[in-house]
Formats: sequence, structure tokens, C-alpha cells
Amino acid sequence: MGDPRTLARGGHASHSSRCLIGLPSSQVEVDPSRIAVIFYCLGTMDILSTLQLQSGEQDRESWKEWFWEQQISSPYGTGFRPSTYMTPEDHHGEPSEYNTGHLVMTYTALLCLSILRDDFSNLDRRGILHLLRSCQQPDGSFTALPTGGESDLRMTYCAFVISSLLDDWSGIDLDHALAYIDKCYSYEGGYGQSPFGEALGGTTYCAVASLGLAPDTPTSSRATRLAGVNRARTIRWLVQNQTESGGFSGRTNKLADACYCFWCGAALAILGEGDLVNERTLTEFLANCQFKFGGIAKAPGERPDPYHTYLSLAILAILPADHGNDETWKLPRLNPLWNATEDTAQWARAHIPAKAS
Amino acid sequence: MSDLLADDSEWADVVPIRQYENVNPIAPIFYSEEYKDATDYFRGVVKTGEMSPRVLKLTERVIRMNPAHYTAWQHRYKTVMALQVSLEDELELMDEIATMFLKTYQVWHHRRLILTALNSVDAAARELVFLKTVLENDSKNYHTWSYRQWILVHFNDEERLWAGERPYVEELLEEDVRNNSAWHHRFFVVFSSGVRAGDEDREQTLRRELSFAKEKIALAPNNLSAWNYLRGALEHTHTPFTTVTAFVEPYTASEPPATDVVDLDNPLPSAGAQLPCVAALEFLADIYEEEGGEKTAKAVEIWKLLANEKDTMRKKYWEHRIRDALQKA
Ligand SMILES: [Zn+2]
Repeated sequence: MGDPRTLARGGHASHSSRCLIGLPSSQVEVDPSRIAVIFYCLGTMDILSTLQLQSGEQDRESWKEWFWEQQISSPYGTGFRPSTYMTPEDHHGEPSEYNTGHLVMTYTALLCLSILRDDFSNLDRRGILHLLRSCQQPDGSFTALPTGGESDLRMTYCAFVISSLLDDWSGIDLDHALAYIDKCYSYEGGYGQSPFGEALGGTTYCAVASLGLAPDTPTSSRATRLAGVNRARTIRWLVQNQTESGGFSGRTNKLADACYCFWCGAALAILGEGDLVNERTLTEFLANCQFKFGGIAKAPGERPDPYHTYLSLAILAILPADHGNDETWKLPRLNPLWNATEDTAQWARAHIPAKAS
Repeated sequence: MSDLLADDSEWADVVPIRQYENVNPIAPIFYSEEYKDATDYFRGVVKTGEMSPRVLKLTERVIRMNPAHYTAWQHRYKTVMALQVSLEDELELMDEIATMFLKTYQVWHHRRLILTALNSVDAAARELVFLKTVLENDSKNYHTWSYRQWILVHFNDEERLWAGERPYVEELLEEDVRNNSAWHHRFFVVFSSGVRAGDEDREQTLRRELSFAKEKIALAPNNLSAWNYLRGALEHTHTPFTTVTAFVEPYTASEPPATDVVDLDNPLPSAGAQLPCVAALEFLADIYEEEGGEKTAKAVEIWKLLANEKDTMRKKYWEHRIRDALQKA
């Protein structure tokens, strides 16, 4: 553990840039979700404002190029794939059935490219809307891939952010999707991963953020969606998840974990109740999750990873840390709905929608 | 002494295909030789569209090295269906892989697909037994519980699958009364999934559930899972919180009451219980708020006690409750 009174900005930034250089073979499981891992690394550098320092102009140009290589079109529409892990050396012979865009990768790729300040002239907007349509299921949920796979609130959130980033909701049947979110609501006040599931921090964030992102429809307005007794129960459950350690747990009676500080804290912020978090103890918990050689772990004494590093910094950026006058904790504001710094969100708003180009 | 497919005559007729990599990739993974070898051959068979027994071996090999490799899973499923291999055998083979990679989504999704294709109640019953053994080692594993709930809903009308669920939950709560996944599962079985056989009399069912929750609270008063269950059961059935005031009050006192009278409807906190119990104080304040009028002041008093003394971690939340109630009043 490093000095718990300061945020070890340099250490966290180098932890991320090290991961961008390469990952050991023991990390092979992240290959099918590699863009998401890259997003946590670039996002960390974005929050710490070190991207310009830690990468050269040429690096950033070639990274953009790498991203655009992952944008692929298939009969199901266009989207980003996780990496080239299935791409043959000569680019030939990959059947379109397996070579499709992935919703989580498409969402995180759009944010990565915004962090890299790409002009999005290569973006196939119509194709992406088509992919969303291909991924929506009869029950209103979304699969990550148009060819199947599991469907749950994580993918609903990605479909909603993608629509919001494009400022075009024509790719999804919104009322149907909203009905699915309702079905995931649990008696405890949180949302399960899918209908009938136990209330869980991550998917509660996905539900609350989706409800906050979706525009009004004739049968559902934003104001009524996040109101009343259900909202009060959600707030209660979220607040109850802050444990004695100061960190949040993801479920009732579980131990605190740095990532749930984000999922629960950001959900509260979206509900306009971020003030209810005990920021002082939360910051202390996250400070103790810092690894002595950089990076932030899920709990004190554990190994760090890009996911927990990014999400810890993100919640500190949403809820201004209560750490006296120590300047190291000062971070730029973060948009809790898209999960991007305000500067990056502004870039995305100016360059991603069709009318912007 | 190599274990590579490149040295295996069985694979001599397949042209391995190396992975494309950009000259300056981001976060590249430094693959092991075995992984590169297996995935080179996997790309080879995907290109030719081969679906054969050796492709089943190959996809298993890839999956064991990388259980998140969703393309290997997709191609495996397609091959299993095309070859019409025994789906029961496929599930059994997957038992070990599921146990090894409990936290990988793809592992559980594959089981769903196979069980859906099998469409057999016997197979579903076998799955429920298998899941019990998994939960023995990790009683709160989210994927395992999701899959269990999915099976039950998928075979919604098969009462023989559902019949053992409530007793199973009781077993788990005997072991760990704070296991929220077990509490949640009970709520799912009794309330949110519909009306199960034997539970048609809803009033009696509610009485049974309230007694169950109260009994568990008496055993361990500071257990939020049980209090949330009690709240959930009342709210789901639109039963006012005031109906349990007599039960809640003794838990808000500083000491257990000195009485020998046993009221089965309202079990008292056990002798060594830590009182007052924060969850009970919260509950009593909610009762007062529900009653409204003059009672609101009593609710505010409790919230102040929570904010300043009993649950200072959530001070701002209790103050928010006070503001909210006074605004409504
Ligand atoms: Zn975590």
C-alpha cells in the first residue's frame, strides 16, 4: 500500500500505459473484450490528464488506425469487434457469421476514439443503428452479438449509450427495452442482471443510467421513470451498500469492492443523490486500495488491474473527494451517464452524431 | 516432447492460419506457444467450416486455455448440433469446465443453449443437482444462481423441479443466515415467479413467510438480508408495515425485554443480541412515516438518532429522509 493520504497519480498512470504496451499470456481471457480493457487504460490517462505526456502524436495516430480496423460490417450491421483475435493473417476466410460487431466493444470504442480526439469521419452511423436492431431480442433485451450470446442489462446500457452518443434512437424499440429494464427490478430496490436476478450494483448502474439516458416516449417520460417509491427504494438500497470499511459492496451482506464504489456511487449521482455517499470514508477506502507500484485493486492488499483502477478514479471524479487540501485528489468532472470526462463527452457530442459531421 | 497440434499427424491435413496483428497494436497479448498453436488451427477449421469430432476436441482445448473465447464456444455449439452428439454427454463434459471457470459468462450460456435444445425435464433436474454441488463451494456465485433461476422459469410448469427449492433455501440459510443470494432465491420462488403448488392460499403463504423472516431476525437481528425480505414480502402483498409493529419494537430497545412470555408471532431478540438494531430503528421510523400525522415527529426523532449516533456512516441519508418527510407532511 502506498501513502494513503495522497492519490498516487503517477503510479496509476504508468500502470495503465504499461498495460497498453502489452499484456502477459496469463491475461489471455481479456482478448475477447480487449477494447474494454483499453478503455479502462485510456480512461485512466484521460482522468489523470496524462495522455499527451505518456504517448506521442504518432502513437495516438496509429492507435486510432487500430481502432478503425476493428470496425467491421456484416449482414447484421456495423460495429466494433474486441480485437483481431479471430482475424486471419491475410484478412481472408473469416465467415461473417462469427465476424460481427459487439455492443460492449462498440460503446467502449466510441469513447476511446473520443479520448483520442478522432474526427469520426470513418464512422458507419447507419450500420451501427442496424447492428442495434439486429441485437434486440423479442423480450426487449439486447445480446452483445447479433448472432446470439447472453443478453442482460449490461448490453441494454451499451445500446442506450450508443444511441445517445449518435443522438439517434431509431435503432432500438425503446418502450420494449424499457419494459425489460422494469422486469429486472428486485424487491430490494436494486436491479438484477436479468429478470428475476438478485439486486447487483453493476447492473443497477446500467438500469439507472439507461433510464436517465432514454428520451421521453409517448408512454414513458424521464421524470416519471425515476420517481416514486421505486426510486426511494433504489436510493435506500444503494446507500445501504456502503459498508463499515467505507467502500461499497455490490450486494447485500457482501464485502466492499472498489468497482462497486463506482457502480453504486455513480447510480446515486445519476439519481441526483450523490451527496448521500459518505465521501470521506469512501475516499479512505479507495486510498487503501492503491497498490504500492501503481494501480488500484478491488480491495486493500489485492493486486491492481485496469478495471478497478479506472472505476475508482471515475467515482472520485464524480463525487469530489473529501480529502482536505491535498491537491492530488483534484480530478476533472466526469459525466456519470456516459462514463467519460466532461471534455471527452463534449468532444463526442460534437463529432459522433450524424448532424455533427 | 511437444504437445502442439503442429506436430500431431491427426491435424496434418489442416492448414493453420496465424492471427493478423497490426504493426502497432494496443494492449497486445503475449500468447503462449500452446495457445497460438491451438488458435491457429481453430482459425483453420473455421475457414473451411469443418465440423467434426476433432473440432470438438480442438474447441475444448481452446476453451480450457481461454474460457472467454466466445467464437470457440459458438463454433462448438454449432458442431455439437451438426454432429448430433449426445447433449447429455455434452452437459456432463461441461461440469468440470463450469467448476473450473465459475465466473465466465460463456460457460453458463453454453449450458443454457444445450439444455434448451435438449428440452428435457430430467436433464433440468440433473442440472439443479449439479448446481447444488457448485454452490457448496461458492454459495453466492451470481452466474450459478442466475442459471438456476433461468432453468426454473424455463420449465415453469414442472412442479417437480420447483418442489425442492424452498427446502433447499432453508438448508442454505441454516448454514449462513446472511446469504443474500439464498434470501433472494426464496423471494423469487415464493413471490416473483408466480404461485407455486401448495402456495395457492396467498394469505397463508404470507403468514408463513413473515414467520420465517421474523424467526431468522430473532436469531441474528443485525442481518439486513432478512429485514429486506420482510420489507419485500409486505410491500409485494401491499400489506402495511404497521401490521408488524409489535414484532419490530423490542428490537429498537437498548436491552432485550425481561419476559418469559413466548409470543410465537413475535419472536424476541436472542439474549446476546446487539441492540438496538439499526435496521429495526429504520423500520420503526418507516412505520411512523406510513402512519403520518403526529407520528411523523416520532419518525424524525429516530432518524436523528440514526444520523447522530447509531448509523453515522449514513448521516446524510437520514437527514435526507427527515427533509423528505417534512416536505411531504
Ligand atoms: Zn470489483
